[in-house]
Amino acid sequence: MKLGQTRSQFVAVASIAAELSAVMDVAKNISLAAANAKAIAFRAGEKAKGFQPITDFINELAKDTIELVNTINEHALNLYQLTVNEYRMAEAYDKFVAVQTLAQGAAYIDSLNQPLNNCYQNMTECRRDFKTNVTQLLDQLAEVMHPARAARVIAANSRIEASQAGEYLQSLQAVAESVDNAAQVIHENVQRCRTALLIIDLAD
Amino acid sequence: MKMTNIYEGSYKWVMFGRDENKPEKIIDTNQYMVRTSDRCLLIDPGGVELFAPMLAAVLHYAPVDQITDLFASHQDPDIISSLGLWDQALSNSKLHASALWEGFLRHFGCESIEYVAINDGGGLIDLGDVELQVIPAHYMHSAANFNIYDPQAKILMSGDIGAALEAPGAPVFVDNFDAHVDKMRFFHQRWMPSNQAKRVWIDRVRDLDIDILAPQHGRMFKGDDVNRFLDWFDGLQVGIAV
Repeated sequence: MKLGQTRSQFVAVASIAAELSAVMDVAKNISLAAANAKAIAFRAGEKAKGFQPITDFINELAKDTIELVNTINEHALNLYQLTVNEYRMAEAYDKFVAVQTLAQGAAYIDSLNQPLNNCYQNMTECRRDFKTNVTQLLDQLAEVMHPARAARVIAANSRIEASQAGEYLQSLQAVAESVDNAAQVIHENVQRCRTALLIIDLAD
Repeated sequence: MKMTNIYEGSYKWVMFGRDENKPEKIIDTNQYMVRTSDRCLLIDPGGVELFAPMLAAVLHYAPVDQITDLFASHQDPDIISSLGLWDQALSNSKLHASALWEGFLRHFGCESIEYVAINDGGGLIDLGDVELQVIPAHYMHSAANFNIYDPQAKILMSGDIGAALEAPGAPVFVDNFDAHVDKMRFFHQRWMPSNQAKRVWIDRVRDLDIDILAPQHGRMFKGDDVNRFLDWFDGLQVGIAV
């Protein structure tokens, strides 16, 4: 484990936090789109009958995504704290090794062995926790992809239903479009999170 | 790292400084240690860059598990930014520092070290073999600032008060006070913000019996030079930037 490794971890974890924050914004937009669609479908009455249950789906989807992102955010925060701890330990370990060289001939040089070993063990534990957390986070990110994929299917269905809504066609198509775009943005952001995590050097 | 014993009785005061391997753009600092039979207090243990040479030097006097106490006169990085590293090294240690700085100093990392908050009035640090007094020196220069006084060794560790910028390898004691004044003047005028705070500090310190005044930068003052310094400082206008 090297200090350089933890530095690249800081960058990766920070970029994940930024991507997740964007996903959250998009999920909130979907929620808004769902409310908007519901209002339009209500006004359209019979003409948008098939569209009404879809608005509930869209809303559920947004809620699921927001919940998942909240959980992932907690996980990312934990990953950040582990990175901070690991950075501090790696820095201390490097310094302790330097002390061993500088303190040659000092009467109490051997007393450094205990802190040096402790630091190494803590560092190893921290690395193990980090790896476990990265694996869990990758799984959770894969989970966020499911609602995003479902959103695209819903968007396609919405377009079909919208085509039968007469004068409400344009409004409902716009809703379908915005859900589709949002799903795509979420997919791309989550993919970037996964890439950032996958390039972290997990070697000991 | 140069190590100088400045007091030897039933316990010891050691000054560490003039580190030859110090990075060029980092200010030179003096660290002090009070070593008793089974404990060790590090006073203003220094910045993160200084941690390795400082610990290496301390290991000539004490094992790691007997470094039981750290003291930070104030919050500056050259005083205590090494805290996070000491925190990884020490398993049974306390940091004595102002209550005001706790939330700030913890940014350096203070998980295993116990933070002992000192209130504005000062206090005591009991090392078993010796009891040290924590003397308030607020606004000199930091808003929450303390000195350490040892009535037995008659040493006042004065933090930034009496500090001077010196060439590498300079002697550890002032040997020509008049020549030394030029190295101190601007620092004290610019970094000490309050004539009122200076007045209070001088009055407080004049009551103490001091053989050595030991600042965190530059040379220490010994014997008559202690009063020469107090007289000179008494007449100096500080807080000149406003």
